[in-house]
Amino acid sequence: MNQPHRARRVLVFIAVLALVGAACGSSRKSGGGGSTTTVAGGGGGAAVSDADCPPGQGSVGVNGDTITIGTSLPQSGVYAAFTAILNGEKSYFDYINAQGGVEIPAGSGTKYKIKLVDKDDAYDAAKTVTNVNSLINDSKVFSLFNVVGTKNNLAIRDTVSTDCVPDLLIASGAVQWGNPKFPWLIGSELVPYPLEVQTFVNYLKQKKPDATIAVLAAADDFGQSYVDTLNELVKGSSMKVVQVQHYDPESTDPAAVKPQVTSLAATHADAFLLAATLLGCPNALNAMGDAGWKPIVYMSGTCVSKVLFTLAGNNANGVLSVTPLMDPANPANDSNAAMQLYKSSVKQYAPKADTTDGIVGYGWTTAALFVKILSLSPKVDRVAVMNAAHALPSVKDIGLQIPAATWTTGPNDNFIGETFQMITYSVSAGHSESVGDLIDDNGKTADLSPKSLLNS
Amino acid sequence: MISRRQAQIIGLVVAVIVLAVLLVLPHQTGTTSTLRWAQVLYIGIAAMGLNLLTGYNGQVSIGHGAFFGVGAYTTALLMHNEGWQFLPTLVVAAPVCFLVGVVVGFPALRVKGLYLALVTLGLAVLFPDLTKRFVHATGGTNLVSLTRAELAPPAWVPLWVSGEGRDDQWAYYVTLGAAIVLVIAAVIIVRSRFGRALIAVRDHEAAAETVGINVAQVKVLAFAVSALYAGIAGSCAVLVTHIANAEKVNTFQLSIEFLVAVVIGGTATVIGPLLGAWIVVFLQHYISDDLPNHVSSLGPLKRVLGEPAASPAIFGILLILFVYVLPDGVVGGARRLYARLTRSRRTRAPAVPPSPTPLTT
Repeated sequence: MNQPHRARRVLVFIAVLALVGAACGSSRKSGGGGSTTTVAGGGGGAAVSDADCPPGQGSVGVNGDTITIGTSLPQSGVYAAFTAILNGEKSYFDYINAQGGVEIPAGSGTKYKIKLVDKDDAYDAAKTVTNVNSLINDSKVFSLFNVVGTKNNLAIRDTVSTDCVPDLLIASGAVQWGNPKFPWLIGSELVPYPLEVQTFVNYLKQKKPDATIAVLAAADDFGQSYVDTLNELVKGSSMKVVQVQHYDPESTDPAAVKPQVTSLAATHADAFLLAATLLGCPNALNAMGDAGWKPIVYMSGTCVSKVLFTLAGNNANGVLSVTPLMDPANPANDSNAAMQLYKSSVKQYAPKADTTDGIVGYGWTTAALFVKILSLSPKVDRVAVMNAAHALPSVKDIGLQIPAATWTTGPNDNFIGETFQMITYSVSAGHSESVGDLIDDNGKTADLSPKSLLNS
Repeated sequence: MISRRQAQIIGLVVAVIVLAVLLVLPHQTGTTSTLRWAQVLYIGIAAMGLNLLTGYNGQVSIGHGAFFGVGAYTTALLMHNEGWQFLPTLVVAAPVCFLVGVVVGFPALRVKGLYLALVTLGLAVLFPDLTKRFVHATGGTNLVSLTRAELAPPAWVPLWVSGEGRDDQWAYYVTLGAAIVLVIAAVIIVRSRFGRALIAVRDHEAAAETVGINVAQVKVLAFAVSALYAGIAGSCAVLVTHIANAEKVNTFQLSIEFLVAVVIGGTATVIGPLLGAWIVVFLQHYISDDLPNHVSSLGPLKRVLGEPAASPAIFGILLILFVYVLPDGVVGGARRLYARLTRSRRTRAPAVPPSPTPLTT
């Protein structure tokens, strides 16, 4: 019997391999462990400077009167529904280019056209890295725009910071974009997740001050940020979190949430916080209906979409959420000039897109906000544009922005989507309706956020 | 017509040329292309490992994305949290993956075929959850994103690896080095007694046992060595992609990509999985990035082929065609071609005497 001998041979081979690795490796610790770049001006303000940037890169991506920008988002796979964002974005850029382009700075008479290069990452962070490297090195983009996903943007955080490429209007409401150590990233007008929770808690304080709350959260950082904020906010009130269940956010199967929701229903809680996204939302609402549970439901703003509401049928009736935008499915908004411009332009430039889909409206609005930031910049330069994004002076009437709302950023405020409307969905009407007045939480996100997430 | 010896010389010349091309490649192309070739190499390494298990030993695994992830996380966490250089992390990552392979290999003794595939699928599903539970890195998530300073090559790396793409060239050459070492190791393994035992167990377990092969040991070792290959691939991937990440969809998709690379390249061949990896990576890149531009002149076809959502479908169709045309992979196809070219040269005298009519007593 020679087996031990054979086994030993394989082990020897591995040992040799290991030794080769050890021999080659230098055991020095790398010099700047964890070094990240540039917070200029001291004082923790969110301004950037080009002190640590590669020289002469400020106007890369500007050729004559064209500014090339890049985005990476899921256009295939489980999250392919986000492709609708691109329809809204491209429609807006086509519209503005047809007007001759964006004037930088406003009133100067110098107009630039916008060219958007899009790449598919199927929501895979590794592909986002590849895409962004290619956008920066091959396509030579001026900036990134509305790259989708929390982890996807965290994965490129160091690259954009050391290359000094603005990562503008990230499509994620995560609080990490408020981290003052990384001023080259800023979130879009999506409502930061902690503000959603606060809105719901405030609503409950009025309607049911002693409410018991059950939570279904996605088993990731997204779901956890809702849970952490909720636990923080109910402290000292008569409200109580009775049960938290987690589900697998990557599964689109209704069965992935059903047992959890059934268990939550058994608590007969008064309120149900749905910290889920995309198909997780209608699946959970349907499971809730099946269980005969009728709580006050709050659903993450990331689920506000006619398509998702429709999938939940009657179970979506009365569901609460928040949105920074007018609902394109609500006929009451059709008289609004901004809404009319949106619908006619999307029909013209992206005939296949569904103009009543809130996701298309989000893309349109985010593109409009990007153009606004460019026009606020004194010149076409990466540092100048990034600083313009960090100094939004209460901008109004951006795309489908709610008419009375303003968006503001400043030295101690890195969050844009802090003015928004609470809404409730009506199945019979087929669209959402406003609940209460416009909520203005400007400057409050950082205080509400779990510090472990904000500074990580 | 070519003789066997001539064929060997041609093979050697081709190998030298390929190696030479691979060595100078980063100096001739841009960063993106360099990194894409590095991706070919690390997927090829993992596929080679899977091939030792599936091709040579007949154990199907669709969970190799998990071993890949174990290697990636080991390397990324050591570099990110402990400030290690890349190469020493291999010393830890390789044995760790080997041991995980041993642990997973034991249950594999009890289940076979489809059932084993399901067990390994469970591994691919479980792994992302484990990382979410235990890893809190960049932004508080299970993503480990490395900074450029952490990824920088050590100072002793020669200057001809230089300039703006120094990090990327370093990533490429490290992966190439690992691939060369592991190809040689695979050749040695396959030609050793252990290699023959792998094949014997695959072809007839009972017969292998009767001639004195310790079937259990061979199977577990096959899993372990295979996991080690996948783990080193994962470690190299950290240098290339700058991150370690685990989501169910990606872990599963990676596992499938390895399997596809093995099947396309040629099962139970050493070099096949590398060729397969090259085809998988470049085909996917071509379909999703270049094809939509090329078809823009085709009018109505653009509506179908230009859709990003169509790219996985096109990839799938091409895979089916590929397997249909070359059922034994690229290397298998090349062997058949070689056999056809040399057939007329060889003496027709059969090596094995024609089998006599079976005795029916």
